[in-house]
Amino acid sequence: MKRITYSRALLPLLASIALIGVAQADTKNMRIAFSNNYAGNSWRQAMLKSYDIVTKKAVTDGVVAAADVFTTADKEVPTQAAQIQNLILQGYNAIVINASSPDALNGAIKQATDAGIVVVSFDGIVTEPSAWRVVVDFKDYGEQEVVHLAGWLPKGGNLLEIRGLAGTSIDDAIHAGIQQGVSKHPEFKIVNSVEGDWDQTTAQKAVATVLPSLPEIVGVVDQGGDGYGAAQAFAGAGRKEPIIIMGNRQDELAWWKEQKAKNGYTTWSASIAPGVSTLAFWVAQQILDGRKDIPHDLLVPYLAFTQDDFEAALPSIPVGGVASHEYTQEDAKKAIEANMKK
Amino acid sequence: MKFDWRFNVFGKPWIWSYLGAFLVWLAAILFTHGYGAGGMLTAALALAVFSVIAGVAQMFVITLGPGNVDLSLPANIGLASAVAMKMMNGSDSLIAVGFLAALASGVCIGIFNYLLIWLLRIPPIISTLSASFIIQSAGISYGRGLQIKPPPGYAEFTSAQIAGIPFLAIGTAIFTIGIGVILHRTIYGRSVLAIGQNTRAAWLAGVSVERVRLGTYVLSGALGGICGSLLAGYFRGSSLEIGDEYLLASIAVVVIGGTSVSGGKANVPGLWGGALFLVLLLTMLNTFGVSAGVRFLVTGLVIIGVIVAAGGPRSVR
Repeated sequence: MKRITYSRALLPLLASIALIGVAQADTKNMRIAFSNNYAGNSWRQAMLKSYDIVTKKAVTDGVVAAADVFTTADKEVPTQAAQIQNLILQGYNAIVINASSPDALNGAIKQATDAGIVVVSFDGIVTEPSAWRVVVDFKDYGEQEVVHLAGWLPKGGNLLEIRGLAGTSIDDAIHAGIQQGVSKHPEFKIVNSVEGDWDQTTAQKAVATVLPSLPEIVGVVDQGGDGYGAAQAFAGAGRKEPIIIMGNRQDELAWWKEQKAKNGYTTWSASIAPGVSTLAFWVAQQILDGRKDIPHDLLVPYLAFTQDDFEAALPSIPVGGVASHEYTQEDAKKAIEANMKK
Repeated sequence: MKFDWRFNVFGKPWIWSYLGAFLVWLAAILFTHGYGAGGMLTAALALAVFSVIAGVAQMFVITLGPGNVDLSLPANIGLASAVAMKMMNGSDSLIAVGFLAALASGVCIGIFNYLLIWLLRIPPIISTLSASFIIQSAGISYGRGLQIKPPPGYAEFTSAQIAGIPFLAIGTAIFTIGIGVILHRTIYGRSVLAIGQNTRAAWLAGVSVERVRLGTYVLSGALGGICGSLLAGYFRGSSLEIGDEYLLASIAVVVIGGTSVSGGKANVPGLWGGALFLVLLLTMLNTFGVSAGVRFLVTGLVIIGVIVAAGGPRSVR
């Protein structure tokens, strides 16, 4: 036991000596793999597209030798665990991962980090301490939803909450943020909460079943991907749409634009940008570059649009897709700096 | 002969599913003191339609006998929704093209399923499940996960209502009456029942077993295609995940509705009872505002309860 910890403590030391040797650590011969567990929705497709744009350029510019993407078809943990083991054997220097489970993959992740591989998780993060996590401030996102509503509705009223996928850390964090917002703004009352799973169809169905039993609703607080479905459910029940917080999906913003032109509809839109995959890539690259000072938990802001700027962003989002933001190496360095100040 | 009151009053197994649907609706409106009772029924009818169509597909396959099940329905529905929306391309003049393309995609999947079962001799439960992975991959590369919107006329059509009754529900009701006739009055329908009761006996009696099986898997595929294109219209956009819930739902409505899981005995009216029951159960639990965990638990327990109750009259035969 003692010997293992000793050698593990030695490894980075040796590595840093080697790095000093070449003055600037160089990642141009290093290979970074991306382990992804699902590709079947617009968010994931945007995530892959952003990643592709940024990493292709990084490879062409000679920043890294290879940045390969490995996607498993299902959302299953065992498949991804096996995939990680393959990536270890293939000798990648770093693995960027969107994980299917926060803790069930920890065994495989530990094997990777023990083998000296840098693991950076994002979106679907892993709790294994030796890995890095790029997380969005979901709690603040939830609270800001209520703060925005409070600005437009000083008298308050009844809110409907649409939850995300049950059991995920993201759903818990946004929900906690919303609760905190409501406790600070007691003029609002959440009269019911349904599960929308960040999916338009699921959200529309859930809201449609619960709506007949609800009193007047002034606002819908949700988690993104569910706003358009909620609007459809209100329209289907013949009720006027309340202020529905949107989640950066193209159909949500297009609907908002339509309503704004018609009756001045006002709301706010925010979500985690799929391009956060590229931030995870740069974080991995920076660690490989020899940086020792990067905290294991990096908090990054979410991507938000307001009444004034969403229309400008709309044309650049693919039809049926989601707004994204790609990080450059400089952006990534700034994001890391911001976290080190905390 | 011993008199059994259940045989008289509840002689038809599908009565139980309607009773269940009525009871959960009653519980929901008692909770709201009658508020929203009509709205709940409208929403339930609108949502039940899709489970009924998927249920008809599954019912025919399951009735073929033990081991027959179509697990590729969710992937089929997801792909069909993407095919329909891409072909319609947001234009009202292309609605028929998109609808037929989705139908064709479903038919191809049905033929593919049958070929796996017949040519490669793979059990249906495995072949349709593996087919669904192939279909899903095709869907991802075809649709790229984008939510493509339906043409306005088509969207309008899928959510139109007449006096609180969704237009689609009326159409589907007429369709299921037709299905009942096909099942009980045509050679094809009777062949399906005969094969499910005893494949060898049916074969000896001159039923062309393989042709009927091919027809049934193709029918299931085609209905999946229709279901997918209607879902994309009603939910205002295609999605590869749009069919996911119809794996459990299609089997559950068949079983709750009184169709025999071991085949040879199908029940069409029960599909409506089962579908309404499942949607109203969701309505009731959402109205109560219970957490996701409790909802899953109660749904599971209630389904078990209804199946046991529906199984009652059958066991006294």
